Amino acid sequence: MNKILILIFILFAGLTYSQSYSIAGKVIDQQSNPVPGVNIILLNTTIGTATDLNGNYEIKNLTPGIYGIEFSAIGFERQRRNRVVISNKSVTLNIVLKPQAIKTDEVIVTAGKYEQKKSDLPVSTEILYGSELLERNFSNLEDAMRYVPGITMTEDQVSIRGSSGYGRGVGARALFTLDGIPFYTGDTGEIVWEMIPVTQIHRIEIIKGAASSLYGSSAIGGVISGLTGDISETPKTIINAFYGFYDKPHFDEWNWSNGTRPFNGISVSHSQKIQDFGFNLSFQRLEDQGYKRDDFSKKYTGFIKAAYQFNPSSSLSLIANTYNKRGGSFLYWKDSRNALVTSDNVDINRVNTNRYLFGLIYKNVLNDNTAMNIKTSYYRNNFEDNGNPSNESTSHLYRGEVQFNISLSNSIMLTTGVEAIPSNVNSSLFGNPSAFSTGAYVVTDFTFNFPLITSVGLRYDYTKLDSLDASGAISPKLGLNYKLLSNLVLRSSIGTGFRAPSLAEAFTSTVTSGLIIEPNPDIKSEYNLTLESAINYLPIDLIELDIAVFNNEYYDMIEPSVDTTSGNIKFQNVVRSRIQGFEFNTVLDIIPGNLKVNLGYSYLWSRDIENKMALKYRPRHNFTSGIDFATRGFGVGIYFRYSSRIEEIDNELLRIVTDGELRVPVYVADVKLSYELISIGIPANIFFNAKNIFNYNYVELIGNLRPIRNYSLGFNLIL
Amino acid sequence: MKIKKILLIPFLFLLIISCDSGIEPKPEPDFEQISGFKGSVTFSGEWPDSIKRTHIVIFKNPLLQASDFVITNLRFISNEIPFSSLTYNFSSLDSAVIPPAPGPIEPGEYSYVAVAHQATENLSLARRDWFVSGIYYSNGNTTIPGIMLVPEDRMVENINIVCDFNNPPPQPPGGI
Repeated sequence: MNKILILIFILFAGLTYSQSYSIAGKVIDQQSNPVPGVNIILLNTTIGTATDLNGNYEIKNLTPGIYGIEFSAIGFERQRRNRVVISNKSVTLNIVLKPQAIKTDEVIVTAGKYEQKKSDLPVSTEILYGSELLERNFSNLEDAMRYVPGITMTEDQVSIRGSSGYGRGVGARALFTLDGIPFYTGDTGEIVWEMIPVTQIHRIEIIKGAASSLYGSSAIGGVISGLTGDISETPKTIINAFYGFYDKPHFDEWNWSNGTRPFNGISVSHSQKIQDFGFNLSFQRLEDQGYKRDDFSKKYTGFIKAAYQFNPSSSLSLIANTYNKRGGSFLYWKDSRNALVTSDNVDINRVNTNRYLFGLIYKNVLNDNTAMNIKTSYYRNNFEDNGNPSNESTSHLYRGEVQFNISLSNSIMLTTGVEAIPSNVNSSLFGNPSAFSTGAYVVTDFTFNFPLITSVGLRYDYTKLDSLDASGAISPKLGLNYKLLSNLVLRSSIGTGFRAPSLAEAFTSTVTSGLIIEPNPDIKSEYNLTLESAINYLPIDLIELDIAVFNNEYYDMIEPSVDTTSGNIKFQNVVRSRIQGFEFNTVLDIIPGNLKVNLGYSYLWSRDIENKMALKYRPRHNFTSGIDFATRGFGVGIYFRYSSRIEEIDNELLRIVTDGELRVPVYVADVKLSYELISIGIPANIFFNAKNIFNYNYVELIGNLRPIRNYSLGFNLIL
Repeated sequence: MKIKKILLIPFLFLLIISCDSGIEPKPEPDFEQISGFKGSVTFSGEWPDSIKRTHIVIFKNPLLQASDFVITNLRFISNEIPFSSLTYNFSSLDSAVIPPAPGPIEPGEYSYVAVAHQATENLSLARRDWFVSGIYYSNGNTTIPGIMLVPEDRMVENINIVCDFNNPPPQPPGGI
């Protein structure tokens, strides 16, 4: 009898076992890379597992029922599915994890020229992920920068905490680097945002405040570091495409085209590793017919990152970025009744551009404590217009840098290096000048047990611009980071920055629309002294607060202004200025993985001390916000930004720009909808964006209306 | 429920700001009621061959020193007056170099109205490149430059200038 009972029990048990089911699937990030080591637990149980190296997981032996399941991994937002129903078959559940920025301890940044935790830095830092750029259809990184707290844009010129006004595309007071390679042109020293391969960007790190002690000239206001994605272990092809159009202008009299103006883009990229060699390759075509007449463009961007691993400790990488643009040129409007039509007085309405950046990066871990990086790059910049006579300019900028990261002990990290930058220009605007600069730097980070991190840095730069007198600059910096509590970090830094004038600022000679711009052989470098103190506080895991106050003193600031003796415009060291303010940023992870709110406010008090007036193109109040809601693969985002009305502009331009005095506060609201098809087995996501949904009309630069309301639909397909 | 309320706040805020459209087109200027000026230039004597271009120039403030001859003080540069002209009628409603489009001129006093020429290849705003060949005088006083008074919503007329190439007026400071 007992044997019969045991047999029945075994049979029953076997029957029961045969009726058990599983939840299985794959966890990937937004670039479709598998995420290993993801913790997966069934809510209210002790059942759980983790993903393997390929991101796969399986929870077996589940009986029919409704389960809650949670996915969590360091560096990613937690994902939760509250109603996973198992009825009579196993469930496949694929998950896409998004990068997580709130857990500051876990975010690694490299803008300090080696990997550091964000929470260990003595300076304010913002992180922007490449996946956000794609979902919000920012085909130009410049557009994304407008939503970063503490950053304002005047057309294509970036200003970190008020560092820049508008210099007609000349000179930048922030340095952009792509995979560690500085990215500014040899003639104008500008950042060419539209050249940056957005679809390849993994993340953007923004360091606020002078960083000349590491990066030298141009980093006077801060550093924006773009990092492209890693090369995929398995072959991966991504196709990204979008189509959109501008709505009709708000006023009928602005509707110059009597229709909607479309824009579209397609990007194909492939990543693959073949033994010790790997590459990322992408090609992008963008076409925009423009909401303004004569503001159309066709752009082609190519990007290659190829790497060869000689052995576990050394590798060589090639970075190549090419950019070709054929487009119109909209300088300023005809008048406010023809705000989307270029002025009759502008005789240049076509510009062709060809730019190439090539870089080689050799990395070698010399021993357990020492790593060496050698970086070389070449940046060719060429443009020509259809003026009469035509303006044409070609610049060549070469760069070589040797950098060492030396761990002197467990608590002392030394970063040191030297670099040399020769450049030359052949131009109808700037003449044929050449320049040479070189610099040497050393930064030491001391980590004490208290726990205090002290960063001490010093850099010397020597600059010689063609026939101008050579100059030297010493840029010291001291930074402190003190973790008062596990959730409360105090940081403070003081440092100096400098910027050598670009060749364009020294040698531009041209006549445009009645304004004569003349060279300035007496121009010299500008300097600043920046001071910042800040608190980062996480009252609970779901809330991050960051408050910073800063004071920036600028000396010999270079601005285009009227020369009182000649009556012409030239770039001059005219401004002694002071920029003070504070920033308040918060991230509220209201429902982890589902609902997140970002808020940022900055107050800028910028003053030309000698003339006792506000600095040009610096709004006093800036506010950015975003609400992201996601569930079951659906995502909704609402974004809003505000800037107060600019107090001061280039008044001399009012002589030539009709109605140029018109300017208003900026209120821009965007909406994003997205859906991740991976949750239904298709490796793709689709996104819809409506930008400037209230069709609000505003300018950043006089006579230049910013984009009117526009809609776009796009997808990202991963093969 | 609380979350719904939280989400309502930004929606309400956005709704409020949606009422503002930002920059709007200015109304077409009413050329019947517009602040401006009109007048004529009469030339006498032989035009020097060295002249490359001639313009009417108007400054807001007096030219007391060389640095006053500057674009920030300059309010009007007419289009070129044809070489060898005997008379030339002008108006602030004509197209001009500055401002780029005809429209109202800011009402008020303008301290220096003159005809000036250049011998340089390209238009220059440097004081040294200009030579004044005629000045507007008011109230019959030819000892000091006349002040042009532009009234509100009306054209001031008879801003007449005589250019005698054989007897040029006193030059403002800063010339060669």
